Amino acid sequence: MHNRLTKRASGWLAGAVLLSALLGTSSTSTAAIHGQLGTDNSDCLRCHRMETLAYRDPQSGELVDLHVNGEQFGHSAHAEVPCIDCHQGDFGQYPHPAAALAQRLDCVGCHEDQPDAHERAYRFQTIEQEFARSIHATSDSPKVKGFNCHHCHDPHTFRNSAIGQPIAEIVRSDNQLCLSCHSKIREPYSTAHLWLPKRDKHWQAVRCLECHTPLTDLGQPVSHQLLAGKDSNFDCVNCHSQEQRLLQRLYQYRSATDLENSGWLSKAILNQSYVVGMSRSPLLDALGLGVMGLTLCVLIAHGWGRYRAYRRFRQHQLEQ
Amino acid sequence: MSALYLYSRWVRAWHWLNALLFIVLMYTGASMHFAGGGWLMPFDRAVTVHNTAGILLTVGWIGFVIGNVTTDNGRHYRVQWSGFFTRLFAQAQYYGYGIFHNAPHPFHVTAEMKLNTLQQLSYLGVMYGLMPLLIMSGWAFLFSVSLPETLFGLPSVWLIAMAHLTLAYALVLFLLVHMYIITTGETVTTNLRAMLTGWHREDAPHSSSHQEAQ
Repeated sequence: MHNRLTKRASGWLAGAVLLSALLGTSSTSTAAIHGQLGTDNSDCLRCHRMETLAYRDPQSGELVDLHVNGEQFGHSAHAEVPCIDCHQGDFGQYPHPAAALAQRLDCVGCHEDQPDAHERAYRFQTIEQEFARSIHATSDSPKVKGFNCHHCHDPHTFRNSAIGQPIAEIVRSDNQLCLSCHSKIREPYSTAHLWLPKRDKHWQAVRCLECHTPLTDLGQPVSHQLLAGKDSNFDCVNCHSQEQRLLQRLYQYRSATDLENSGWLSKAILNQSYVVGMSRSPLLDALGLGVMGLTLCVLIAHGWGRYRAYRRFRQHQLEQ
Repeated sequence: MSALYLYSRWVRAWHWLNALLFIVLMYTGASMHFAGGGWLMPFDRAVTVHNTAGILLTVGWIGFVIGNVTTDNGRHYRVQWSGFFTRLFAQAQYYGYGIFHNAPHPFHVTAEMKLNTLQQLSYLGVMYGLMPLLIMSGWAFLFSVSLPETLFGLPSVWLIAMAHLTLAYALVLFLLVHMYIITTGETVTTNLRAMLTGWHREDAPHSSSHQEAQ
């Protein structure tokens, strides 16, 4: 992938240089590109929407992709946000100054600076605290070194799941974030999750996060504290019981989705917010079934008593 | 031989539709509640069928209430307070003692009153007490997304689930007793045939104790 990208970038560059040489405009174009640029999103995207825009980091040797898909960005959560709100610095200059490029982007800082930040039910400072306890932050593994928000949430494409989006799509896209790194999980001979009854059904129906995050309080969305496999939820009754973990999270959304898509009657009939086991109560089951069994015994005994009375009556009739 | 036309066509249609829905709801309800058993309906299908049957049961119940308001069937559900406890005690005593001693039935079906006091009380409790509560808790389930997070400090959906389950057990219990009690008419099938044909037939309107026992 990287090789192909590098080749394409080289091709574009070679093409541009060749074209400039042929037209004899090499010096003027270089002069034009130096200096002041616009800082509207469209100005930025003039260059950054090029699929081949990339450079090789001289220190790590890694190819750094600078491409932003304009269409996806237009549909993302940040579509209305000017590029320079996040990429602060003198990006009006080209080449962009090293000071601007060296800046580290801070999701939490930016979001907490918003005037309505304190009104959010799920604040970014909470996300930050949860992430600090996440296995992605606490692991010693070199694979997660420098792990940050952007590893899961590409700010140029990320969008919150929207009402009307099919629930299967939400599950798939959410899980794809995890699987893009944890790719071995779904290899054909993977032994991961073998303990889980109806493993594939679970994978299709719920997000990895349902089990790999701790229980949250009522009204709180899924935590950003990702748990290690061994610390994750192995207890079926956390979802399949009165806790209604799924109702608060994924299924709450599903009900809203259904309602939006299909009207209230269809939604009522095709309601899928009932989680297996939600109505289970060992006490009520024992009481209910016990009383029913007892009643059945009483009725049978009652019927037997009536039959005996009838036999006595018949006997009495015959004797007469 | 006496014959009284006690169950009009709409009452019988409602009764048997209700009975069918009860059976469907019990089976699908058990399939959802005890999901995974071999004789149970697959969970996904059970949910859809249960929800559909529940909505039809609601329509049926509303029809029953309207029918009782607009036709004279409602008179059978009006409690006559005069001598109420005496009749109630007599009926209970009959089911608990007299029936085993071929005692005469303390209640005789008439065009004005087809239900004995104990029947009347239990039907009133079921149709105007348990059924609306069951239906309301069922609808609360269907629109659980619109419920508040908690009710009385407890998770609201769990509370609804427990209420629905308790009511469901109570109504299954009612069905058991109902199916048995209807066999205590003049003959074992007198009441069943009355609900099928509409006509309540007895060999003699004031039957003797010996005939009651049959």
